[in-house]
Amino acid sequence: MSSTSPGLQFTDVRKSFGAVRALRGVSFGVVEGEAHGLIGENGAGKSTLLKILAGIVQPDAGDVHWRGERLHLGSPREALERGIGMVYQEMLCFENLTVTGNIFAGRELTRGGRLRNGEMRERTRALLAELHLPVSPDAPAQSLSAAYRQLLQVARALAFECSILVLDEPTTSLTDAETDHLFSVLEKLKARGVTLLYVSHRLQEVFRLCDRITVLRDGGYVETADRRGVTPDHIVRAMVGRELPPRAAVTKAPRAAEAPPALAVDGLGRRPGFVNISLTVNAGEIVGLFGLVGSGRSELLETIFGLYKREAGRIRVNGREIEPSSPRAAARAGIALVPEERQRQGLLFNLTIRHNLVLPDRTVKGDVLVRTASERREAAQLVETWRIKAAGVEVQPDALSGGNQQKIVVAKWLATSPSVLLLDEPTKGVDVGAKFEIHEIVRREAARGCGCLVASSDLPEVLALADRIIVMREGRIQGQLSGADATEEAVMHLATHEMSEA
Amino acid sequence: MKKLWEIRELSTVVILVLEILFFTWWLWPEGGRSHPFLNWPNALLILKYSSIYGIAAVGAAIVIISGGIDLAPGAVMALAGVVGAQLYVVQGWGLGPSMTMGVIVGLLSGLLTAGLIVLVKLPPFIATLGMMGVTRGIAFIITEGQYFDVSSHLIGGWRPMGLPADWVAPIIMVTTALVFHVFMTTFQWGRAVFSVGGNETAALFSGIAVNRIKTSVYVISGVLAAVSGVVLVLVQGQGKADLATGYELDIIASAVVGGASLAGGRGSVIGAVLGTLIFGVLRNALPQIPGATFYDRLIVGLVVIVIVVVDQLLLKKRS
Repeated sequence: MSSTSPGLQFTDVRKSFGAVRALRGVSFGVVEGEAHGLIGENGAGKSTLLKILAGIVQPDAGDVHWRGERLHLGSPREALERGIGMVYQEMLCFENLTVTGNIFAGRELTRGGRLRNGEMRERTRALLAELHLPVSPDAPAQSLSAAYRQLLQVARALAFECSILVLDEPTTSLTDAETDHLFSVLEKLKARGVTLLYVSHRLQEVFRLCDRITVLRDGGYVETADRRGVTPDHIVRAMVGRELPPRAAVTKAPRAAEAPPALAVDGLGRRPGFVNISLTVNAGEIVGLFGLVGSGRSELLETIFGLYKREAGRIRVNGREIEPSSPRAAARAGIALVPEERQRQGLLFNLTIRHNLVLPDRTVKGDVLVRTASERREAAQLVETWRIKAAGVEVQPDALSGGNQQKIVVAKWLATSPSVLLLDEPTKGVDVGAKFEIHEIVRREAARGCGCLVASSDLPEVLALADRIIVMREGRIQGQLSGADATEEAVMHLATHEMSEA
Repeated sequence: MKKLWEIRELSTVVILVLEILFFTWWLWPEGGRSHPFLNWPNALLILKYSSIYGIAAVGAAIVIISGGIDLAPGAVMALAGVVGAQLYVVQGWGLGPSMTMGVIVGLLSGLLTAGLIVLVKLPPFIATLGMMGVTRGIAFIITEGQYFDVSSHLIGGWRPMGLPADWVAPIIMVTTALVFHVFMTTFQWGRAVFSVGGNETAALFSGIAVNRIKTSVYVISGVLAAVSGVVLVLVQGQGKADLATGYELDIIASAVVGGASLAGGRGSVIGAVLGTLIFGVLRNALPQIPGATFYDRLIVGLVVIVIVVVDQLLLKKRS
């Protein structure tokens, strides 16, 4: 790495949060005008580094230089004024404002205190045209799809003529086509000389876009490699710091031929989400439920879990018909759901991870008293079993990385020993290592005899994990594939094409 | 759960002690006269009147921890007091049954509030604002502007269970606070209240019967407000419709000063009671300072702001 490079230079950046050393002296450089990939597992320090660059967090030590000049980034506003634009993983969007309002939020053009709406609208129109976004500047943001909201953030960064654009997992909730669109925009920006710092868990994307790749691990710098000089395997090894163990050969629990399926859903319907859904999941089986966003898969899982009232159909667990009138009733019947959004639906941030880990189990059992000592033991056991990286069981979940938070959400439900485990996008926004571990957890649960239904829009994940794949589209089951039939093409075909009348 | 309560309660105690020391020093009498603030009858007086706020503040704190808000306590106090006094004075019921009826009215009001929030899905602020008007209104209809003189019916030496009458309110408050502290800290129900306040969606997804928990907190708040209303009538000796006007804000302020976060998921029942004592001491001592009479509302308001700001600074420092 050339120390003479006048681009963006991190020098010995350190940051600790309490006892956790998030960054232990990271130094690397980004050449001006290049697309630079930044990857590492959750907890590797990427987010902290980005927060420093965005002015949200102040480093304990070390410098950041841009074009040879030291950056003092005291607030997100200062970062923006120095030309650093951020596109965050969680979409920051003012749903109540229009597209124009979102782009200029906080930095409205004014004359004598009055908004210059006409000019802002014109500038928005020009930006949208540049990004090839067929959206009206006056459209309310809440009418936009996830992808367009993401691109809106890019537009917002561009509106302030940023010279560095930082993207943190921008494709998490985008479809392939939408990702292509985003990438074509990014390529264009790169051609215009904008420096891109791209953070993603998806190696494929990093290799597609970036000229050079920097790997962080456990808060330290590992290496910066030229894309043309390395293989994805090499990067994975650098990220994880160890060879990934070969996929464990899981022996299936022998199933009595006559045993009823763990979960049998018959003619289930709830308009407009889905209609006439029938499926079975056998004990010990992992069934993939593949569908794009809007296919009704989340609604289906949440209805089985008793969050919504169904309009039609029957649900049986181990052959016994159940009436999941609430998540509590569903959980008592042996159903567990790992929800899609762990921040909003999975974790209680005001309580420690001990409470989070034991809550469903204690609720299902209908315990009256909180027995602290036994809960501590049990929580410590769960933390150890599922290899959750935490500084004890009495810390709050916000001190944990995304992957470990997700493991808590999985572990708290496994503690109830469910017969049916429903997982909705279990590895969304989770790094390679944690993803691998969560897959192993699901396989182990299946081997224990649990029926697992994994909804995902991550096709490789479904293909790798599931014994059988059910494809949903627009609220209907489009088909089932298993074994050799389950190829990427076949699944995508079902998921995206109208079923021919047959 | 230790961290959630104890540190915050300790700081509330420290504020209370500093406050008492300050007024002891400020009001120190010249030349051997008896201390106007630091004496046993005055302490009992503070305790007695703070208890009326304190009983209701326990309920208010629980509602706030669950992520809600209850604006009705003052009005429910009036209605419960008026109902109890009317039955006792006009209908000639016994003291016990009359006051029990007053408490039952509070329970019904709490149930109705819960129904508006859980079934009709009104925001708690609106539902309890409405209930505040409804309960106060019914109190006025019942009294038709008159007041019921309870004290003339209570014979001078009224000693419930052999105790001096002045002790009734503090005993009820301390008992209520301890009982609900135990419920909040060592029962699954209490943890569920914290969970619902911390993240209602995640609580629902964790199998907690969110609606049941919400119903329970508003019923508790209604019942405790009614209890303090009944106690207020007994202490003041008269039941009238404009009883406890504006108390709801003092009660909420006490809960907040005692560590409850209006965002939900954080707070303490004991802290709320300590909060009412902080205000009780202020209300008692300020009028004794010459020239301070017109300043007491201002000072009470400033105290709320300062304590909450300091609390947030401390919280930030710790994390």
